[in-house]
Amino acid sequence: MPNSHKLALIVDDSKMQCKLLSVLLQEENYQVVVANDGASGVQMYIEHQPDLVLMDINMPIMDGFEATRRIKQLSGAGNLAPLIFITSMDNEQAFIESVEAGGDSILVRPFSPQVFKAKIKAIQRISDLVEQVKGLQQEQQNDAELAEKMMSGVIEARNYGLDKIGVIKKAATIFSGDIQLSALCPNGNIHVLLGDFTGHGLRSSIGAIPVTETFRAMTNKGFSILEIVSQLNKQLHTLLPGDLFFAASFACISDHERSAYIFNAGLPEGYLFNGEGEIKKQFSSSHPPLGILPQLLPDTQLEVVQIYSGDRLVFITDGIVEARNPEGELYGFPRFENAAIAGIKQNQLVNKVLNSLDDFCQHCEQEDDISLVDVPCSGWQKIEFNNKTSPEHLILNESLIDDEQTYLPTWSYHLHLTGKLLKTVNPIPLVMNQINDIEGAGEHWQSLYTILTELFVNALDHGVLQLNSSLKDSAEGFSQYFNERAKRLDNLAVNTINSPDNFVRITLEYFPLSHGGKMIINIKDSGKGFDIVDVMKRNNIAENDGIKLSGRGVELVNQLCDTLEYLEHGTSVTASYIWHD
Amino acid sequence: MTVSSRLSSDNKQMVISINERFDFSSHQQFRDAYNNERLKGLTYILDLSKTEYMDSSALGMILLLKDHVHLYSGDLIISKPSATVRKILEIAQFQRLMTIE
Repeated sequence: MPNSHKLALIVDDSKMQCKLLSVLLQEENYQVVVANDGASGVQMYIEHQPDLVLMDINMPIMDGFEATRRIKQLSGAGNLAPLIFITSMDNEQAFIESVEAGGDSILVRPFSPQVFKAKIKAIQRISDLVEQVKGLQQEQQNDAELAEKMMSGVIEARNYGLDKIGVIKKAATIFSGDIQLSALCPNGNIHVLLGDFTGHGLRSSIGAIPVTETFRAMTNKGFSILEIVSQLNKQLHTLLPGDLFFAASFACISDHERSAYIFNAGLPEGYLFNGEGEIKKQFSSSHPPLGILPQLLPDTQLEVVQIYSGDRLVFITDGIVEARNPEGELYGFPRFENAAIAGIKQNQLVNKVLNSLDDFCQHCEQEDDISLVDVPCSGWQKIEFNNKTSPEHLILNESLIDDEQTYLPTWSYHLHLTGKLLKTVNPIPLVMNQINDIEGAGEHWQSLYTILTELFVNALDHGVLQLNSSLKDSAEGFSQYFNERAKRLDNLAVNTINSPDNFVRITLEYFPLSHGGKMIINIKDSGKGFDIVDVMKRNNIAENDGIKLSGRGVELVNQLCDTLEYLEHGTSVTASYIWHD
Repeated sequence: MTVSSRLSSDNKQMVISINERFDFSSHQQFRDAYNNERLKGLTYILDLSKTEYMDSSALGMILLLKDHVHLYSGDLIISKPSATVRKILEIAQFQRLMTIE
């Protein structure tokens, strides 16, 4: 705005000087107001908010230094109304003091009108630059706030189970480098992620969107946590610059399996609490943060724990334990744990931790993003299965052949996995993708997903790997089972000579019905089979004793299927699944 | 100066030491400490014995140093971290990416 009049304030006890300076300023297109002592100068500054101040030093009532200190205090650091001392005190002390009082420049009498005008122009140029920077800053702030709104819309608003998962999220700057995600798997399991990108601010938030998209898409398609972690790592390795990485904890909570799978790559220890607030287990970081290595380390595996009603998983980022109080002390793990335990007892973990943290920090400036997720392990809504079921559907007759199947399927699909591929490939998402591609997406595929997963895992674990499910009947055996499983899978991968002998074959046949459809699933494995009648009997006895931890999978499948039969001494299973539109 | 570096007289070792805080504010100094060093096969020793605090951006800077060291086929050793700093390195599982002693 070059034509608008700027306002100058002259503070000088000599009326003569005021007159002289006014004329010069008016020639430079300034409007002028005048004060004749320091105190009224401050008053005029408040009233008129001038664009420029000319200040004498020696004045009655309040001298120029004091008036300047007050004016600068009023205008604040971000708001520069340039202030020039006009003085005949030509000594070093005056110069130093004038700068210390907050003056932006000094002009020593006598000076020519040309020198005076040049000085005004120079100082105005600096003040214009400050204005420009302020404008840009404001613009950037507005953009950042808008982007933040959009980001949290994409990231948090679409999280699953927001009413049940407790969250703390306090960003150090507008953009948080921390993200919290939750999503529902097709079989009703819950996937949770708490992650922390290096640094904070916009730079650290950029990775959040691809991470969110991958996490959600892969969870929806039925990929396991480990597969999602591996894909995220690969993606972030190519995407992020060398010094930027992503520390994160992951959990898969399976209500029907009563187990949780946990993976911690670079975050502080995660916790499993029981309903009384006791720490049942902690999960230390077992892998470098994601995005550093091109692939996950070869021995990467998840931790598996049994979960009971009332248990909660709690993940935190380092911002909590590294928060400082005014004395510079760290908040630390013990304070956090005490607050969390007290919080669980009162069923308000998030509030307790937040209050304790606020009490401790006392409004100290927050150095890092602070976040926490608190996920209940039970009480998740069971997936609604639309099949009516009764145990009589379980057909144990090995010679029974379904004669009614006289017409041909409209399509069929076979997948035959051998040897080390059984360790490295998860066939279920592949199969589900095929079904979605041919028949389109639909709610009813959720049950099919569960059927396929359970039957495949059974064929692999009990068929090919010959693991005994009764191991899972005790808590110690539970983790032993998973260790043994990992070991045997590794053997499959190493032992390439015999590998074609180990296989699982999945066959699907699809029959359209007038209002819906029917899928026949057959899964055949290379194992030794089992005595079906014996297993069912044992399970029944165990169930009556209320101690059974294994065998839930088959039960669930049985409820979902129309028919389920084991053939060929238990090495082949055929399930049929019917749904109606 | 929080970052200092010294090349041994036999041109085989480069020691980079960091005093007090190792965080984003030392970013430029840290880079300058090694960036112009083009000798092949050097052993880089990152001396953290006097480092009291380290944040995650420091971990990122160590990874950049590691890239530099690999580019010139050298070795990287992290030396004598204090208990606090060691804990941070362990959470990030850096002992699986480089030597810490």
